[in-house]
Amino acid sequence: MSVFSTYPGQVIVDNPVSVPIEHRFDPYVDNGGTLLSISGEDFCVVAADTRQSEGYSINSRYVPKSVKLSNKTVISMGGCYADCLTLTKKIQQSMEWYQHAHGKTMSTAAVAQMLSIMLYQKRFFPFYSWCILGGLDEEGKGAVYTYDPVGSYERESCRCAGSASSLIQPFLDNQIGFKNQESNKTKLSLDQVLRITKDSFTSATERDIYTGDYLEIFVITSKGVEVQKMDLKKD
Amino acid sequence: MDTLVSKYANAASSASFDNADNLGDNLSGWDAATKFALPAFDIPMVANPTDFLRAHTDASAENRIRIQHGTTTLAFKFQGGIIVAVDSRASGGSYIASQTVKKVIEINPYLLGTMAGGAADCQYWERELGRRCRLFELRNKERISVAAASKILSNMVYDYKGMGLSMGTMITGWDKTGPALFYVDSDGTRMKGERFSVGSGSTFAYGVLDTGYDYNLSVPDAIELGRRAIYHATHRDAYSGGSVNVFHVKETGWEFIGNYDVGELHWHYHAQPKGVIA
Amino acid sequence: MSIMEYNGGAVVAMVGKNCVAIACDKRLGVQAMTISTEFKKTFQATPKTYIGLPGLATDVQTLAEKFRFKVNMYRLKEEREIEPRALAHLVSSTLYERRFGPWFVEPVIAGLDKENRPFICSTDLIGCINFAKDFVVSGTTSNQLYGMCESLWEPDLEPEDLFETISQSLMNAVDRDCLSGWGAEVTVITPEKIITRTLRSRQD
Repeated sequence: MSVFSTYPGQVIVDNPVSVPIEHRFDPYVDNGGTLLSISGEDFCVVAADTRQSEGYSINSRYVPKSVKLSNKTVISMGGCYADCLTLTKKIQQSMEWYQHAHGKTMSTAAVAQMLSIMLYQKRFFPFYSWCILGGLDEEGKGAVYTYDPVGSYERESCRCAGSASSLIQPFLDNQIGFKNQESNKTKLSLDQVLRITKDSFTSATERDIYTGDYLEIFVITSKGVEVQKMDLKKD
Repeated sequence: MDTLVSKYANAASSASFDNADNLGDNLSGWDAATKFALPAFDIPMVANPTDFLRAHTDASAENRIRIQHGTTTLAFKFQGGIIVAVDSRASGGSYIASQTVKKVIEINPYLLGTMAGGAADCQYWERELGRRCRLFELRNKERISVAAASKILSNMVYDYKGMGLSMGTMITGWDKTGPALFYVDSDGTRMKGERFSVGSGSTFAYGVLDTGYDYNLSVPDAIELGRRAIYHATHRDAYSGGSVNVFHVKETGWEFIGNYDVGELHWHYHAQPKGVIA
Repeated sequence: MSIMEYNGGAVVAMVGKNCVAIACDKRLGVQAMTISTEFKKTFQATPKTYIGLPGLATDVQTLAEKFRFKVNMYRLKEEREIEPRALAHLVSSTLYERRFGPWFVEPVIAGLDKENRPFICSTDLIGCINFAKDFVVSGTTSNQLYGMCESLWEPDLEPEDLFETISQSLMNAVDRDCLSGWGAEVTVITPEKIITRTLRSRQD
């Protein structure tokens, strides 16, 4: 009780707030960047630019967004880089424990389902990350799994996510999915897919300020994962 | 058995501040069975987690986390069972995120769930429902009724009422009582019914459905009605489209009827003579 | 929702070899609901100039009439057709008149000048002109159109190739936008003739 009470029994509370005072809690930042994945008959391509930015500034010209998880699986993430790092680490940890518990490497489909659950576990405090999982399925066919930030996922044939996704995705629909085309609906070879991937990024770099610097392409085949690098515009 | 029961008893309350950072947990003997056994959600350490989520998923937020939305789904009972028809578009804002979403979730060979609202919410909770239905079967040596299954789902999401879940679903199936159809949403509504349509294009679908509906419809006619209702909704509603997926629920379980691309379906209907409106 | 996205719509223009092309979608919606699929957004200003007006439909119609009036007055006063570049500045100053209560329209102009040199440009809703040598895009689908045009466009396309390029760009772009599509109209302007074609596209 305070000495400044004006009547008996009055309680003066210094701080009448029952919960801690918060001055905004904003844990998210958009670090930009674009990623895409295309699946083929017996291969899968996962590509992402390596620019990391914050607002109008570039933090780094080379921060890879894709990580090889196994000889059959590559994950690529964009959005808030801190969240992406944490999520990647969680996936790698869980895959290692799976390896120790079961004596085998997690399949692409299993990693895909696990990632969905990991994202949904943060339903009320989401990871700000756009994920694309590329790899080979149990039959050796190319597989692309795409996610929204809270874990809804779908297997698709090709997908682009991140800051330039709206620029690249219609081009992929046209060139990979043969949308609005009458003829030549053939299966694409790895060389064709790589050419389309590189074209997509050079085009997107012209118009999207968050995409550029270098392009890192992961090619997943039955022989394993091979990484290619290509220069993009640095302005 | 008791341990299982006690686990379920506090499924909802396990979401607390304590597990906000469970990264370190992985170091002490990780096991998928226990790790993913129960829904446990990380909550931001703020006074009002709901406001936090809303602030970051709102259209006005700077770094908005776009959760996919927009849909037309429908299901109706008739003499031959139940027809379920859905579109396949997912949109984030006005951008079409996907044209190939599977909005009918195959819970098990006798149960189907549809997806409207948050895609992740529907996928996750209907998968969880599938797991619980399987446990019910193992415990009771018989299949769960559609009424019970839909109530499990309804109760699960009701625990999170007001926390930002978004789900409008129809649970359909065939049990001892015959075909059954329930509407369940994230507000906690659960209704038994003959005919439902859910989503942004539902009003358009209802228009067609109510015009053409008759309990004594033949199976091919019922399939056609479902397909046509979704098609008309995709045509008028900007946030619905892609392709129509049709399922038929029968005594022997559900059957996938087909996937029809709206791009072609429109011209197919366009060429047909128009029917008589009674 | 932004007022610019209330009705939906997309316009794109491209330069070819001694020709230009302009294309628009045909949707008119009220937010999510599609009201009409015959709402064209490109208008002929002179025999060799078109103007595209994506944005708020009420302003699209008002401005189309306003520009028709102004172009007619120009012809009566000057006894010649307005050049595309002059039209661009006319559009720009008309929009800037409403600097603090703008028309919600982002026009695109495409045409051939008196020497039959291609001209395209776009402006923002208060009249800042963007003169481009390759292509311009506008409307709710602009991101998707930028991606498509940047990938498909190349210099010195003949009229038929230009038609194919602009059609593919527009159709695949609007197929990733909820608020545009439902048919499209493409106009190719060459020194000899104007070719207008209606595209058959997805109706969802």
